[in-house]
Amino acid sequence: MNDNGHGRYVYCIAEASEKLSLGGIGLDGNEVYTIPAEGLCAIVHNCPAQPYSSENKEVVYSWVISHQKVVEVALDRFGTVLPMTFDTIIHNVDGGGAEDNICRWLVDEGDELKRKLGHLKDKEEYGVQVLWEPKAIASMLARNNPEITELEEEIKSKPKGLAYMYRQRLEKLLKEEVGKESERVFKDFYRRIEECAVEIKVGHTKKEQDKQMLMNLSCLVPSGGTEPLANELEKIDNMDGFSVRFTGPWPPYSFVTGDQ
Amino acid sequence: MEPTRELHGTLSDLLDRVLDKGLVVSADLIITLSGIPLIAVNLKATMAGMETMLEHGLMRDWDESIRSHEQETRQSKAALVARN
Repeated sequence: MNDNGHGRYVYCIAEASEKLSLGGIGLDGNEVYTIPAEGLCAIVHNCPAQPYSSENKEVVYSWVISHQKVVEVALDRFGTVLPMTFDTIIHNVDGGGAEDNICRWLVDEGDELKRKLGHLKDKEEYGVQVLWEPKAIASMLARNNPEITELEEEIKSKPKGLAYMYRQRLEKLLKEEVGKESERVFKDFYRRIEECAVEIKVGHTKKEQDKQMLMNLSCLVPSGGTEPLANELEKIDNMDGFSVRFTGPWPPYSFVTGDQ
Repeated sequence: MEPTRELHGTLSDLLDRVLDKGLVVSADLIITLSGIPLIAVNLKATMAGMETMLEHGLMRDWDESIRSHEQETRQSKAALVARN
């Protein structure tokens, strides 16, 4: 069965009433256009009523990149958008076509969508990831901790078997100290970054080669107002054993869900 | 320091955002992912990263609280997918 055109892949929502085409910039080159209702519009393309899904990473990447490009084009054109999560496809249910359903959704949720758009107006999302090198931090902590330096000294004079036990104790102690230190710097950095952002979302930390991610934040910042954040991040980046990844501006993916 | 938008360095950040975040529409209007593909795979990768951090004994307290929050969010998202 050819059901092409029965679904609408939604990229984002904007505050605009025009019905217009943004060209063939969608997933797989599909034509992207707006469906307006109630002063809002959904930016969509026509698709079969089935999800985009692939085992092939490259294919998924290219879709995700296309999704992002459409959202960015819409962002440039309409100023503020609510980006949708990937694979949001509205279909024809309850006898209505997909397009009717989108209009009904825009009408029903209009106030909430407009409130969210208002909250995000003139603001941008930035990604902030602080990485650290636990080994470098551990050796620094070891130098400044008398209990650890003492243990290290004792190990040197102990016979093999006993030295092994001391080393175990030393490692446990170091691990605890690194844990305490991570909590301390997390709180310190968070407090400093918080002062430079309107809102912060804390994300999962991920493993990187040789380094560990200490914090993974999304920060909502006034448009054109990144300087305080950039300066604070530069200070952290310049600290021994720490580095910062600063990305963006992103469409506000991290700030459209939950209660804002 | 200047933020970067260069695609090569930010692909994982992009995937995190587009696959795991963004606005979600109520389940009765959308078609869902048959056979649990994209989101679940990505979720696994993120969780694996977190387990590693916990193994190293890092940030147990706040990780726990973030984790429970994240899980709630994801469960509601999963429920959304399952309902269709």
